[in-house]
Amino acid sequence: MKRSLSRMLIVALALALVVPVLFMGQAPAADDVKIALVAPLSGRWARQGQLKKMGADMAIEEINGQGGIKALGGARIVLREADAGDSVEKAVSAAQRVLTREKISAGIGSWLSSFTLGVTEVAERLQVPWLSLSYADSITERGFKYTFQTSPVSSLQAEQALDLVTDLAKKNNRPIKKAGIVGDNTAASMFFYKPLREKLLAAKGIELVVDDVWTPPLADATAIVQKLRSTQPDIVFYGATNFPDSIQVLQKIKEFSVKSPIQGVGAWLVTPEYVKTVGKDTLDNIQTVVAAHPMKGQEELVKKFKQRTGEPFMTQDPLCTYAHVWLIKEAIEQAKSADPKAIRDALAKIDISSGPAVSAFYPPRVRFDERGRRIGATPLIVQWQDGEPYTVVPIAVATRPIAWHR
Amino acid sequence: MPSRARGWIAIIVVVAVGLAASFVVQERYHHRVLTLVFLWASMGLAWNIISGYAGQISFGHQAFFGIGAYVTVLLVVKLGLTPWLGMIAAVAAAVLAAVLIGLPTFRLAGIYFGLATLAYPLILRIVMDWLGYQEVAIPMKREHLGWFMQFSEPRSFDLVALGVLAGSLALSYRIETSRLGYWLRAIRENEQAAEAMGADSFRCKMAAYMLSAVPAAVAGAVYIHAILFIVTPEAVFGLLVISQTLVVCLVGGTGTMWGPVIGAAVMVPVSEILDTTVGDSLPGIQGVVYGAALILIILFAPEGLYWGVLQRFRARRSRGAEGVRAAPIVVAQPPAHPGAATGDVLLDVRGISKAFLGLQALSDVSFDVKEREILGVIGPNGAGKTTLFNVLNGFLVPDHGEVRFRGQTVTGLLPSALCRRGVGRTFQVVRTFPHLTVLENVMVGAFAREAAVDRARARAASALQDVSLADRAEALPGGLTTLELRLMELARCLATSPRLVLLDEPLAGLSADGVDVMITMIRRVRATGMTVVIIEHTMQALLKLADRLVVLDQGRRLAEGPPGRVTQDRAVIEAYLGKRWLARAGAPAC
Amino acid sequence: MVFAELVQYVVTGLLVGGVYALMSIGLGLIFGVMRVVNFAQGDFMMLGMYVTYFYAVAGSIDPLVGALLAVPPFFVLGWIVHRLLLARVTGGDPGRQHDAQLILTLGLSLVITNATTMILTPTPRGIRTSYATQAFAVGPVLLNQARSYAFVMALVLAGLVYLFLTRTDLGRALRAAADDPEAASYQAIDVRTMHGLAFGVGIALVAAAGGLLATYYPIEPNVAGNFIVLMFVAVVLGGLGSIPGAFVGGILIGLVQSLTLLVLPFQLQNTGVFVAFLLVLYLRPQGLFGRRARTV
Repeated sequence: MKRSLSRMLIVALALALVVPVLFMGQAPAADDVKIALVAPLSGRWARQGQLKKMGADMAIEEINGQGGIKALGGARIVLREADAGDSVEKAVSAAQRVLTREKISAGIGSWLSSFTLGVTEVAERLQVPWLSLSYADSITERGFKYTFQTSPVSSLQAEQALDLVTDLAKKNNRPIKKAGIVGDNTAASMFFYKPLREKLLAAKGIELVVDDVWTPPLADATAIVQKLRSTQPDIVFYGATNFPDSIQVLQKIKEFSVKSPIQGVGAWLVTPEYVKTVGKDTLDNIQTVVAAHPMKGQEELVKKFKQRTGEPFMTQDPLCTYAHVWLIKEAIEQAKSADPKAIRDALAKIDISSGPAVSAFYPPRVRFDERGRRIGATPLIVQWQDGEPYTVVPIAVATRPIAWHR
Repeated sequence: MPSRARGWIAIIVVVAVGLAASFVVQERYHHRVLTLVFLWASMGLAWNIISGYAGQISFGHQAFFGIGAYVTVLLVVKLGLTPWLGMIAAVAAAVLAAVLIGLPTFRLAGIYFGLATLAYPLILRIVMDWLGYQEVAIPMKREHLGWFMQFSEPRSFDLVALGVLAGSLALSYRIETSRLGYWLRAIRENEQAAEAMGADSFRCKMAAYMLSAVPAAVAGAVYIHAILFIVTPEAVFGLLVISQTLVVCLVGGTGTMWGPVIGAAVMVPVSEILDTTVGDSLPGIQGVVYGAALILIILFAPEGLYWGVLQRFRARRSRGAEGVRAAPIVVAQPPAHPGAATGDVLLDVRGISKAFLGLQALSDVSFDVKEREILGVIGPNGAGKTTLFNVLNGFLVPDHGEVRFRGQTVTGLLPSALCRRGVGRTFQVVRTFPHLTVLENVMVGAFAREAAVDRARARAASALQDVSLADRAEALPGGLTTLELRLMELARCLATSPRLVLLDEPLAGLSADGVDVMITMIRRVRATGMTVVIIEHTMQALLKLADRLVVLDQGRRLAEGPPGRVTQDRAVIEAYLGKRWLARAGAPAC
Repeated sequence: MVFAELVQYVVTGLLVGGVYALMSIGLGLIFGVMRVVNFAQGDFMMLGMYVTYFYAVAGSIDPLVGALLAVPPFFVLGWIVHRLLLARVTGGDPGRQHDAQLILTLGLSLVITNATTMILTPTPRGIRTSYATQAFAVGPVLLNQARSYAFVMALVLAGLVYLFLTRTDLGRALRAAADDPEAASYQAIDVRTMHGLAFGVGIALVAAAGGLLATYYPIEPNVAGNFIVLMFVAVVLGGLGSIPGAFVGGILIGLVQSLTLLVLPFQLQNTGVFVAFLLVLYLRPQGLFGRRARTV
């Protein structure tokens, strides 16, 4: 038996090393422009990585279908995806791998802010421009020249979201006097809560009545929701990025019939799996602040996306990645070169306000400040209505009017 | 055990190979893989010190890794202190943490210890999150890259990591070839035997734990600067860190410094190759194949690659060379005039009582042992004989009473301390250190007197000579006969240079010839000036051997005196020998 | 009112602990009988959740029933896994054999999670039950229905296991094999079969626990990570080899999690569990229900 076992081992290991080589067939033409996507494609966050890839694939198909990059004589764009897995080590390895193996013109990723922080270090050292949708302020606080953040940063989102909801509340004759903060302590959420706690709420004369932040995973939501029930805040800032945690809170909110309006912090709250897991009744009127969501005028895009992927609706992750690919294309057109440094310079100078590269962002204009943050980036508010999330604020680009009362 | 020079040469070869690899490799990503191999090997070596050598499986070693990472990074961020100096603070913090964790946690044994250690890094992880250190990026210092360990040349990271590996190997090798190393392995194999042979197991484990925190902290600090560039609680305190460490060590083989090196050199590249070849195009498959590879490797070599390969190699070499041993053990008779008891009291046992869960194992037992006598302790099963020995050599603390050895109270002393004072013992069922050779087994005893390995080896060799086992020095205990095992244990005990030798049923399981050999041996022991206390069932042998007998029954001392008189004692005959002997009273047992 | 709140905390903790308890007795059985640290335990729980999910989706079987129906297939699965993998590294040197089993289950865990992610996609799923968002009201105290059902079922299953171990010959043989494999083999007890049985029952129990969990908790391939450490803590807290110990350990963890909130900030909730765990071990190194190891 020992013998057969060692033979088995040798065969299996040989297979493990040989079979992969068979997969490595498709070599691209030499003058293709290669874009890297480093995102979690396996492990805990694989779903988000897959969504990003859907967006990138769609944009690349469009671009290549329209004749590729004109400034480079119709060069095609090819995507080099690298699996960031479930740890920073794997994410940085993936970036290192994909950026040194081939000549990569620009990169996109990596969804989780800690991954983005690590991956952009690599990009900075190798001088490859990098586009990120992560919210964390820290990503563009390091003086990096190659990192570009298209989303409004968390702290800014807090400020703008608060303005938007206080306005809305006032218009609906339900002024906000008491607020609650409920959510986990992941970096992006913490950057959002911090300015609320420290100054923003006080400046508007709003009292913070519940402030419960947990370390995921959450064991049980009873204590939190009980507090919400007894204090009845006029708005709850909600940051439960871990799906099971969020489901537990939402179920408990329904069980305890808590009526406080819920204002989410991030796009994690508007994924299709929410409808399947808790049902649309529980979700109705819950709203969240996001960096991007399909707006008025993007119906065609969304329809195409749904057809391609079978997803019930389009959300921030594919949308931003879609736009990022287009944005890189625009930068290449302007730089007239696939050289990463030239693209970086083009991105730093870019100022465009039309086309698919900008239509996903609000306001629809892309230019970056010296830190790499998109100037004027403003978040949107998205609200669940009848089992689907719609952009409701700003009203100019809303796909549905907001419903305030529950 | 290879000679000292050979070990150092092997380390130099490994480092040279690493160095060569670093200069051969060109691609940045390959440098990264190399750095990862060196770092995970170092982390594995750190774990191996406490869990491999000392056998205290720790599931929480990432605590030190994480402390190394966080302390260095926070010093850079808050004080602008270079990580080269920050690492010193990090090591200090990690060693301090090892003390704080070790002090309470070494009360626990086995899996309880392992899982208790897991709690610490998980607590630290939560606390770091709570303190707001979710994601701490290292500020880029473009002016002084090298001074802040932020090299643009990837080879520099290889070299730093290789340096860490070289240091970890040197540390491991120093431990492996030192008294501490032998003690640790002895503790892993049989903690109580090690204690009885003079190894203070708590102190040894503590020392190992503190030493093992050092490479872990350094590896953590370098890992952040070379691999992650940012530090998150999950990345350094999380379960992935310990599972990677376990993989590296257990695939390679534990208890040897080559295990983690082999494990890292195999598993890290395998994982990266899988990521590169299939992972990006078919995400998830790399995890499946990696997991399957782990399963297959461990089925192929359950003790790890190092031991698996070594075993096959040894099996091939020694095929047909088995069964060398044939010569019977012949022991020279002691001098004709065995030094009789001098009359001075060596050991004074006063009113010892010990109860377990209400069962009185010993009650108010008193007797004394005179210099250079052979005292026999007899009694039926459950009379409390072994309990008595356990009190005498410090395994148990009596509820009442006092033991005085050479005029000093020794009750409550640790077995290791008693051993150093001159109390040696053997066990009813021979307690060997199965993975140590016979010579090494005896060396563990010799270390009670000698700190230097060479001197201990010489002392052990001479002890083996004394019991005529010299030709079995390189065998493993598993291949020994019962007599040889008893002799080895005796040699191990003698190597501690005891004044008093406690022998727990040394004749049990021996053939008639074996009994003769053993009896001669015990006489010789006494002839060299030692005092002997024997527990024995075989009445006949004890009558020949002992100067005096103490009879125990149900935890009480029933009688004491010269064999002739004790065997005539009616109470003794009734209790110990049974009623039927009463009929033959007057006729000494034979 | 304050009192009612306290009662609510206790009740919540108990209900949360109920499912931990059922998860833990499976692990405790494997741990106690085979001395295997089974890192893949959480992944079998995850598979149990999926099986219950597919029962519910394909056969419209209520997950409370589905959880029970998960028991037979998982018993067989556990038996097979033991036969094919774990039994092959049993025997030989006990210390190193445990190392081998450790890595074996670690490898198994990697294979299961990643294969599940690939085959069933990483998208979380959930079984929508009416009782997940309803509560029994006892005065001012609310008992979540899903958790209450799960608690009762956990209690029943644990009770059945306990009866099996103490009242049947097979169960007694199992315990004998756990206490002293050598002595057991003298009594003509086939230790290997006993280990297979223990592993099968252990896996079946954790799969059932997964099924109960699925009545209110979303299902994803990586769900195990949220529970595996707590399971181990519960088993050790209760005392190795003790089934009632593992059960009480699980309940205690739920209680501690809940009551910690009264004294510590929410973020530090699980430090409460770990600190309690360490304290218990320092005071009783053999766990709450464990027997003290024999000396010498």
